[in-house]
Amino acid sequence: MIIVAIIAILILIFGIGIYNSLISKKNQVANAFSAIDVMLKKRFDLIPNLVETVKQYMQYEGDTLTKITELRGKALGSNVSESDKLALDQQIGSAVKGLMVSVENYPDLKANTNFNNLQSTWTESEEQIAAARRNYNASVTTYNNAVMMFPGNMFAGMLGYQPMMVLETAAEERKNVSAKELFNS
Amino acid sequence: MATNFTINPAVQAVIAELEIQRKKISSTKYRGWGAIIVGITIFLITASFGAMIIALLLGGASAIYGIVVLYKISDEESFYKSRFKNEVIGAALRTIDPSLTIEPHNGISEAEFRFSQLFTTEPDRYHTEDLISGKIDKTSFYFAEVHAEYKTETHGKNGKQTHWHDIIKGIVFTADFNKHFNGVTVVRPKDFGASLGAWFSKNVFSIGDKNVVELENEGFKKNFVTYSTDQIEARYILTPSMMEKINELNERSAYTVSLSFINANMYIAFPLDHNYFEAPIFKTLLEPNLLDKDMSVLSFMYDIVHELDLNTRIWTKQ
Repeated sequence: MIIVAIIAILILIFGIGIYNSLISKKNQVANAFSAIDVMLKKRFDLIPNLVETVKQYMQYEGDTLTKITELRGKALGSNVSESDKLALDQQIGSAVKGLMVSVENYPDLKANTNFNNLQSTWTESEEQIAAARRNYNASVTTYNNAVMMFPGNMFAGMLGYQPMMVLETAAEERKNVSAKELFNS
Repeated sequence: MATNFTINPAVQAVIAELEIQRKKISSTKYRGWGAIIVGITIFLITASFGAMIIALLLGGASAIYGIVVLYKISDEESFYKSRFKNEVIGAALRTIDPSLTIEPHNGISEAEFRFSQLFTTEPDRYHTEDLISGKIDKTSFYFAEVHAEYKTETHGKNGKQTHWHDIIKGIVFTADFNKHFNGVTVVRPKDFGASLGAWFSKNVFSIGDKNVVELENEGFKKNFVTYSTDQIEARYILTPSMMEKINELNERSAYTVSLSFINANMYIAFPLDHNYFEAPIFKTLLEPNLLDKDMSVLSFMYDIVHELDLNTRIWTKQ
């Protein structure tokens, strides 16, 4: 009788452990996503300053600057879904990258300290976002494994937990940012 | 790397002087140890004939003479070793980079070693020497030989016995890291305990170590377990390319390395079998390949800054 009770208690403890683990993994995914959001916000906040600094020197890149400002406006809009925000961020990223390449044609801008600081902060934010995305993907993979594998799948069914999609990693995120490639310096 | 620096006439002169000193030290050592061995032999033979007092007098006199000879040469020996490190190893260092310096009696302090969190075991006995420092462009770095040990005690028939075990015997390298970070990230060799902890962390979250960082690089995962106080920051430091570079560095090391990123610095521990930068006593200094091992370890350490791209300062940390 005692043995049966001990086994029952052990099963119960194990069950609670699995259940709690599933919930905490799901929360972790949500947490990881909000971390990306924080990083994106930080990056978007750099744009006005960047545009202002660059505008004074670049005569021929007006279209790109307007496009970047517009994209930022969209990304910070109230009705933007998270996936749209990520897509907008990628567009902003490639537009800014194009801008950085054009800097080569503006030696005065290239020598501007404020611009150089912004450039470093931008690169930093790029890697921080990449890190946050990788963290999100790792959380999703851990969560998916728990949801799809035994014994977690039994509880996942009861809780209505479904596997989630990982974020696609852009090719640039897979490698380290290289100063030479980025700034051609 | 070839020991070209010995072509330098100043270094040649030092080596020639040190060689004379070395010969004196080695012959004195032979004499000292010879006298001790002769003393013991005389004692044993004479004692076997029952002449205990004569055995003690004759054997003792010879052994004491040997001990005195060895004691008298010890100061000269440490002066010789120190001069070898400062002037010969120092010259070798300057051929790699003029900014490199050696301080034979300094090292990585025990406090810094503990602070680095490279190892989970706290040392009970700690020795460090041969601090080599330098700067490549914007990156300052230093490394030193470290021997950290912990002890275990067993109670047997002969009473309490102390056993010493290595935490690390090798070189600890540290450099200013090129990115800002606030937390602590450590990368440790994957052993059974670490693998088990990581498994629990992944599968039974409430029991396991919540600080384990699951990284994507298979080669990296095979060799290391990563822990961090900040999951995102760990990935910011350990980018896919950084993991590849660490894998390459690890492959070129005899034993799996340990790394930590703490307080703006990165620390790497290289376990090694050999005590480097030591002056030979019983082997000539004129041997052309004398410093090959030392030079290869020096170049290896020096190249880390380039290999890990620590001079790429495109982030806000300049």
